[in-house]
Formats: sequence, structure tokens, C-alpha cells
Amino acid sequence: MPDLIPTFSWADVVLAPWQGGFSADPATPMGFWQVLMGFFVGSACGLVGNYLMLRRMALVGDAISHSVLPGIAIAFLVSGSRGSAAMFVGALLAGVVTTVIIEAIHRNSRIKQDAAIGIAFTSLFAIGVILISVFAGQVDLDQECVLYGEIGTVPLEESATIAGKALGPTSVVRMGGVLVMTVLLIGVFYKELLVSSFDPGLASSMGINATAMHYGLMSWLSVVVVSAFESVGAILVIAMLILPGATARLLTNRLGVIMLMTVVHCAVSSVIGVHLAYWLECSMAAAIVVAATGLFVLAWIFSPSQGLLRRAFHKFFTSGEPVIENGVSVKPA
Amino acid sequence: MGVYHRGTESTERGGGRAFSFFSVSSVPLWLILLCFATQNVWAVRIGEISETTFGEQVVRFFTFRDPALRYALVGSILLGINCGLLGGFLVVRKMALVGDSLSHAVLPGVALGFMWNMTKDPVAIFIGATIAGLLGAVVVNLIKETTLLKEDTALGLVLAAFFAAGMVLITIIQRLETANKSGVDKYLFGQAAAISLEDVKLMSAVTALSVAAITIFYKGFLVTSFDAGFARATGFPVRVFHYALMLLLAFSVVISLQAVGVVLVSAMLITPAAAAYMLTDRMHRLLVLASVFGIFAGACGAFFSFLRPNLPTGPFMVLGASAVFVGAFLFGPKHGVVVRWWMHRSRAHRTKRENTLKSIFHVLEARNFHGEGVTLAELAERRRETIEEARQQAANLRAHGQATLNEDTMYLTPDGMQRAMAIVRNHRLWELYLTNAAQIAVDHVHEDAEKIEHVLGEDVVRELERRLDFAQKDPHGRVIPSVADIRKAAAAPERVGATGYGN
Amino acid sequence: MEVKQVNFDDSPPLEVHDLTVAYHRKPVLWGIDLVVPKGKLVGIVGPNGAGKSTLIKAALGLVPVSSGWVKIGGVPARKNLKRVGYVPQRESVDWDFPVTVMDVVLMGRYGHLGMIKRPAARDKEIARECLEKVKMLPFANRQIANLSGGQQQRVFLARALAQESDLYFMDEPFAGVDAATEAAIIALLHELKDRGKTLMVVHHDLPTARNYFDMLLLLNMRVVAFGPTEQVFTYELLQETYGGRLTILSEVAEAVRQRG
Repeated sequence: MPDLIPTFSWADVVLAPWQGGFSADPATPMGFWQVLMGFFVGSACGLVGNYLMLRRMALVGDAISHSVLPGIAIAFLVSGSRGSAAMFVGALLAGVVTTVIIEAIHRNSRIKQDAAIGIAFTSLFAIGVILISVFAGQVDLDQECVLYGEIGTVPLEESATIAGKALGPTSVVRMGGVLVMTVLLIGVFYKELLVSSFDPGLASSMGINATAMHYGLMSWLSVVVVSAFESVGAILVIAMLILPGATARLLTNRLGVIMLMTVVHCAVSSVIGVHLAYWLECSMAAAIVVAATGLFVLAWIFSPSQGLLRRAFHKFFTSGEPVIENGVSVKPA
Repeated sequence: MGVYHRGTESTERGGGRAFSFFSVSSVPLWLILLCFATQNVWAVRIGEISETTFGEQVVRFFTFRDPALRYALVGSILLGINCGLLGGFLVVRKMALVGDSLSHAVLPGVALGFMWNMTKDPVAIFIGATIAGLLGAVVVNLIKETTLLKEDTALGLVLAAFFAAGMVLITIIQRLETANKSGVDKYLFGQAAAISLEDVKLMSAVTALSVAAITIFYKGFLVTSFDAGFARATGFPVRVFHYALMLLLAFSVVISLQAVGVVLVSAMLITPAAAAYMLTDRMHRLLVLASVFGIFAGACGAFFSFLRPNLPTGPFMVLGASAVFVGAFLFGPKHGVVVRWWMHRSRAHRTKRENTLKSIFHVLEARNFHGEGVTLAELAERRRETIEEARQQAANLRAHGQATLNEDTMYLTPDGMQRAMAIVRNHRLWELYLTNAAQIAVDHVHEDAEKIEHVLGEDVVRELERRLDFAQKDPHGRVIPSVADIRKAAAAPERVGATGYGN
Repeated sequence: MEVKQVNFDDSPPLEVHDLTVAYHRKPVLWGIDLVVPKGKLVGIVGPNGAGKSTLIKAALGLVPVSSGWVKIGGVPARKNLKRVGYVPQRESVDWDFPVTVMDVVLMGRYGHLGMIKRPAARDKEIARECLEKVKMLPFANRQIANLSGGQQQRVFLARALAQESDLYFMDEPFAGVDAATEAAIIALLHELKDRGKTLMVVHHDLPTARNYFDMLLLLNMRVVAFGPTEQVFTYELLQETYGGRLTILSEVAEAVRQRG
């Protein structure tokens, strides 16, 4: 199977993406927009994802990124266009509906939250897929777009212009805006997010509305998800909600540092992933995730405190497993 | 439902496991027979049917003449059984999302199995996918054990990482010309029509294995699911059971992929089992019910996706399962929302009636029980309400045979009087108890007693009375009606007004 | 009801009237009445399931209340949370959370900051002082996971101090701490009390309760007794608190849950 893995050519894989290409602005190379888009999506998702993980809701991200589909499909059927305003509203509503359904199921019955999540998002996703396939003639969406959505074609989009100045492909500009908003929101609500994630009891006793924080986070998650996945696919979104933060968590104990490393991780995996996709000629979104996974595995092996290597080292020299106690490896007694 | 009931009986006789084994495991048997039943062959792939009408398709579906359809249907039913069984364990072990993770994690295995010889070889794909799924389960555990990352993160991480790896492989495969018509992309959303006879054989074998394993080792699966610590102390190999469950889970995910698709397999695991969980409190019934719901959902998917070309199967199965869940969630006899709401409502109504009865009693008591009739005006005044409201309440009591109404005067029936006395007795005993035994201030006890009087059972009241040494008066100095008083009221002849009770 | 200007200094720091709390419709506290005087160290004592933590949570508005009200400094509790400090049970949070000791103590200042404002130098100064008081300043930059149980409890205490409140609720601050920490905590509580603060402390250990607290609240789904330790710490009252004589109360609570 020689054609499965194409031969690695420095010129094609590493240099070509950075030379001028077919993008809307011929002066800017394809690779630039692709990497930038990967970075924007990854960072926006990663930053929101950090809070999901701290709240032990990592899989809610997975759920919401599936369940916005019917929202988008209905918005499309109603408005008849792929205009982003209708899509945003549809996705936002779908996200909130998911959250409400999950709460309704697990509050009013013996079904636990995890099962409620599973029921809610699969049902909504199924509705979305059915809507799309039944109205296939009228909907310029296909079921796979949710999964594949291709970052590779982003540079071919029409350029967004503000005050007559071409900024770049529409979805890159939009995603950049979402990233800026994400950073701003986290900056403004840093305290509230931190304390309500760490100690909800204390938060309420200080008058911080935990329910409002929850729904706020879920709504923003929906916004990030929908603005990302139309152009890059759900898989990148789901992965980048978790991978950057998880990688950072293996390396540091400081929330601020985690946030920074999340962004760095996204930049690195975006660059590697884009080139990987050029080489293997595969889905670029998936390739970025594979690169991100690679970084996670590296961190997992070499992490100074939780790394596999450190554990193996301990085992070898002390003939005992290092004990993880309160999160630090301590020497076995 | 027949299955469900017979299950109950045999368990009571102590032989529940043997029973469920035979009934459930016989299902795949007759399904296979159905497959081989010789019929006229309409050798059209379901997905390619295009110029038939809706009605014809329905007829074709129910005549089962089409072998492709038979495979699709049998396959869907088998996967329903499998997913229901395994999902039952996931739901009660709070591992629902493990199913989600595992089902995404099999994708690279599917792709590799396909690459083995570039065809859709069920066995190669089965092996590849199972290995990938198990690897995913192991990685989740490893991450949990060696790092600070929590379970949800580990699950999401494995889900995304494995799925992306699978997508890379699949997009590489699709790039090759030879694979263009392979249908490997059908693994994402599922198409039951793609199920072949080989697939059905494999699915039957897996189903038989799951059913047999769970029936034979039911006790082990049960105790390790419920209380791992206890199970370990009793000598059950908890880890073995965990990984055995994961293996069976991987199997059932893999055989479900073709029909449901990677993305939605988790729904087939979670939703039927969750619906069953709403309906029963016993594990073995839950498993049987979940399988039945799984079969229903599977058949739904096969049916609806048959109606029109290019409809995916998985989403219809999921909606079938969700419909069952919504039904169970709303109308479950014990835990259903509607039933609970209805009971709450009827209790609220009863409480309202009891409060009216109590007020009537109070009016009678205030004039030392001189005269039996209480006018609507008196009642309204007592309850600080309008005459109209009082009239409505009187009508309500009359409808329940607790009072009769003559013009504007009410008379309690013996039944009504008895109930009124019982409520007053509850109220006063509880007030006395709170003041004497719990030493709660006298001015606090009334409000509490207003609520408690309606829920006290007869045995609790007798117990209260005993502890209070059969006290005669409440903290406010009013007489507490005794059991003897209530009996007397019950025995009183019925007072029938001119246009009275029964009119 | 007459409206009057309420000054925190002359209204009781904590006033609870006819408070009933139900979890899943099952009552866990019945008709609680309390007026806690200023500048007292109050121990809340009672058997498991007596509703000790629930009382604190209800006072803070963390659990819904079926009836009754709570006033803090003469003002409905929800409106006066800035004057309340809270030390939850140590197990209630995730100690792997990626924050440092300093971050946790700074959280105590959040109630005083508005929506947007960041902790300023002054807040950090206060946090440092509070850490110094619990002898945890050297650990300020440690991640909270790297602390022993006693140290974690001290961090929580420092956080409560940083809240600069007049009334403190502490849920089992002595649970699972070493003897040195226990002594340090009790010294700190006394210091706070001497500065005119009021402290409500859930306590599990009966023998030490007698020495630690000025006043005791004996709780078992209702107030069995509330008063100065020497008056309340009697065999009869403790017997009544722990003796389970009120099984009917819990039986009825169960009936309410099932039928309510």
C-alpha cells in the first residue's frame, strides 16, 4: 500500500503552504489562514474547555457540539440562508435547550447526569441529521459537514471587509472575533468563574449566582461551537475543548499558566497539524487533533510531576509505585 | 410486556436467570431462521430503491420478502438486544458516557481493519475495532490512574483523540480511488441496508456470547457493578469483570456500527436502558426491558430508513429509543413525571377537602356541637373566603360523599365527620407532640401541624397518642378527638337533608 | 411592620425564626428558633443527620427553606452576605484544583470586590496577613494539592478571615486535622471572638466541645437546647440530643417525603 502514505517532500509539505496560493488575497499564502484558523478555533475552545474540565463537565462540550445541529438545520430551513446571524441564534437556542433537557431529566427522575447528557445530545443530533436528510434538497448542509467541515478550504472563502479593507476569509475573521470575546469574557468574569468552579458553596454564600454562571458558560460554549464547526467540523471543536487544557494540566498547577499553555499548545498543534495534512492529504481538522494528541502524549510521558517516565523511573529505583497523593507524587514510605 | 411478567414469577421461584437466558437467547435463533427462510428474492439494495411509493415500501417492509431488508431488520434487532443488555450495566454504574467514548474510539480500528485488505471484511473490521475500543478503555483507565485528570476529561480526551485518528485514516482511504465505493463513511451515521449475511452471522454470534456471559456470570456482574469494594472483599475479581464488561461493550459497539453509526451508538446503549431504569427497580428486569426497548428502537430505525432512499438508519433508531424514553419518563407507573404530578395534584385536592372538613368541624366545635348544620356563610367566615368559594368547596365535599347540602346549609355525612375528626385529632396531637416532646414554641407548632396533619398515618398517630400518655387537650387547651369519638361519629345515622345527599 | 434604621451593632448577629428545611421534601430541620448574641463562640453539636450543616447552609441561603426566615445583623440574610464568612467542609472542594494557597485566600476578598474589579494590592496584603495568622504564609505559592489536611483547613480559615466578616459559619473545622492545627484553630477562634466577632462552629467531638465553646446549640432536627455551655452541657440534655428519643420526628419526616 505505497499510496497510503505519500512520500514526504520538504518542498510540498513544509514550504508550499507558505507560498502565495489561491486564497482570496493572493499575497497571503494558504497555510497562513489555515494555521490561523486552527489556532483561533483551538484557543477559543481550549479556554472555554478549561472551565468545563474544572467543573467536571468535559463531556458536556461533546454533547453541545453535537446538539447544536438541529438548531442550525432549523435556522437554515426558516431563514433559507447560511447567514451567520440565524445560525448563531439557532445554535444558541439548541445549546440552551440541551442544557435544560439535561437538567430536567436528571432533576425529575432517577437518571443520573451522565446518562441524561447521553440521551439529550444523541436525540437532538438524530433530529438534526434526519432534518438534513429529509430536506436534503433544500438544505445546503450535509450530515458529514458536522464531522468533516474542512479547514483546508477556509482560505478560499470570500474575504470579510471592514470599512473597505479586506481582512481575511470570513470565518477566520469571525473566529478571531469570537476568540477575542472569549478572552474578554474570561477576563471580566475571572473571579466569578474561578470561585464558582472551585467552591460553589462559597460562591453562593457570596451572592454569586451559580445557575447563571452555568447557563452563561453553556451559552458561550454554544456560540464558540457553532462559529467554529461550520468551517472546521465538530471533531476539532470537541478535541480542542479538552486536549490543550489536559496537556497543560499535566505540566502545571497554576490556572493562569494553564490558560497560557493552552494557547501555546493550540498554536503548535495547529502548525504541525496543517503540515501533517499537507503531507498525508487527509482531513486537516483531524490532523490538527492528531498533532494535539501527540503533544498530550509527550506531556504525559515527560511531565515532571505526573509523567509516565517519572513513574517508571521510580518503579525501577525504589521497587515501588510512586504514590499519587493529593496530586503530587510522593516517595513511597 | 409478557416477557417482563414471566421474568418476575420465575425469579420469585429462584430460577430467574435460567429463564431470562432461554427467552432472550432464543430471540437470535429465530431471527436467524427468519433470515434463511426461503422467499422470493428481490435483490435490490435498500438504499437504492427509488421509484416506489410510500405505501408500497410499507407493504414491502412488512412482507419481509427482501433479503437485504431481512438482514437489516434482523441486524437491527440483534444490536438492540446487545446494546440494551450492556447499556443496562452502563446506566446503573453511572458509566453512560464510557459508552460514548468507547464507540468513538473504535473508529481507527474500523479504518485499520478496512485497510487490512482494502475491503469491507467484517471479521477484520470487527477485530480491529474491538482492539481499538479496548485500547481506548485501557487508556482512559491509565490516564485516570497516573494523572490528576478526572474521569470526564479522560473520557473526552480518548473520544476525541481516537476519533480524530480514525478520521485521518478514513480520509486517507477515501482519497484512494479503489475505496471510493467502499462505504466506509457509512460507519459514521449508519445504514442498516449495508448489513450483509456475514454481518448477521457475526452479530448473532456476538449476541449469543453476550447473553450467555451475562446470564452465567450475572451474580458477578451485579455485585461488581453495585459495590466494587464489597465485591473485592468477597473475592470477586473486580478488574476481570470490569474488562469483561468493556470487552462485551466493545463487541456490541462494533456490531452496531454499520446500522447506527459511530456517532450515535452511545444512544442505543444509554437510552433504552435509561427508559428501563425508569420502569423497574430490579436489575434483571431492567436488562430484559432494556433489550426489548433496544429491539423496538432497532426495528424503528430499520423501518423508517426503508421508507425513502438515502435516509440514515441510526438517527431513526435513536429517535425510536428516545420516544420510548420520553414515554417512560412521563408515564412510568412509579417514577413517571405525569404520574407523580397527578398524585401530587390529587393529594392537593384531598388536602383542600380535608381543610374544609376541618373548618366545618371548627364551626361546630365553636358552638359546642349544638345543631348539625353549618351554613355557607359560617364556613366562609371561618375560612375568610367569599360565599362563592365556600359553595364550591361544599359542592366538592358533596361530590365525595362527605357532606350534604340543603339550601345553604351543610351537613357532614358520617364519613365526612369521621374524616374531619381524624384531621383535627392529627393536628392537635402533632401540636402537642411538638410542644411537649420536641419543645418547640407553642406559637410555631400550628403552621407545621397544618401540613403534617394530612400525611400522618394511623399507626404514627396511635404511637403519638401513646407517647403523649393519651392526653385529652392540645397546647391551646382544646379537646383532642379520641378514637372512640371517631367511631361514634361513624356509627351515627346519616342525616339526609330535603334535597340532600345522593341527590 | 414598622420600618426602622437597623444598625448591625445593636441587632443580634444571627436571628433564626421558625426555620424549617426539607431535602427532597423530607424535613431535616423543624421550627428552628435562635437568637445568637454578639461576640460569642457557639458550638453546634448533635448526632449525624441532625441537620447541623443544613442549618448553616440554610442560614447562608445555600439550600431552599420551607418556612421561616433568617436575619443577619437585623437584615434578611441574603442581603447581608458580605458580613458573613463561611468555612465549608474540607471535602466539599476538589483539592486538585489548579490554584495556589494565595489564590484561595484571595477568593475570600471576592465578596468585597464588585463584578469587574480585580484583587488589588490591599487585598493581597490582607490575604498575606490572614495567612500569617494561620502560619501558612510560607506556603502562599504552593498548589493546594500539596498540603496536608491540617494545612488545607488552615487555608480555609485564612480565607474566612480574609472575608473580614462579623459572623462566621464553620462546618467541622476540626475534622481530620492534627493536634497542633486544632490548637492553632481554637486560639484563632478565641482571638476572633475577643474582637467582637460571632462564630457558629459545627463540632463533632463532644468531650472537647465543653472546653472550646462559650455557648452550645444542641441540635437534633430541632433545637434541643441553646445556651451557655455550663448550663447546656448536662447529662439530660445531651441524652435528649443523642438519645434518639424523637424517632417519630424522623418517621414523620420520611412520611412527608413519600407523600408530600
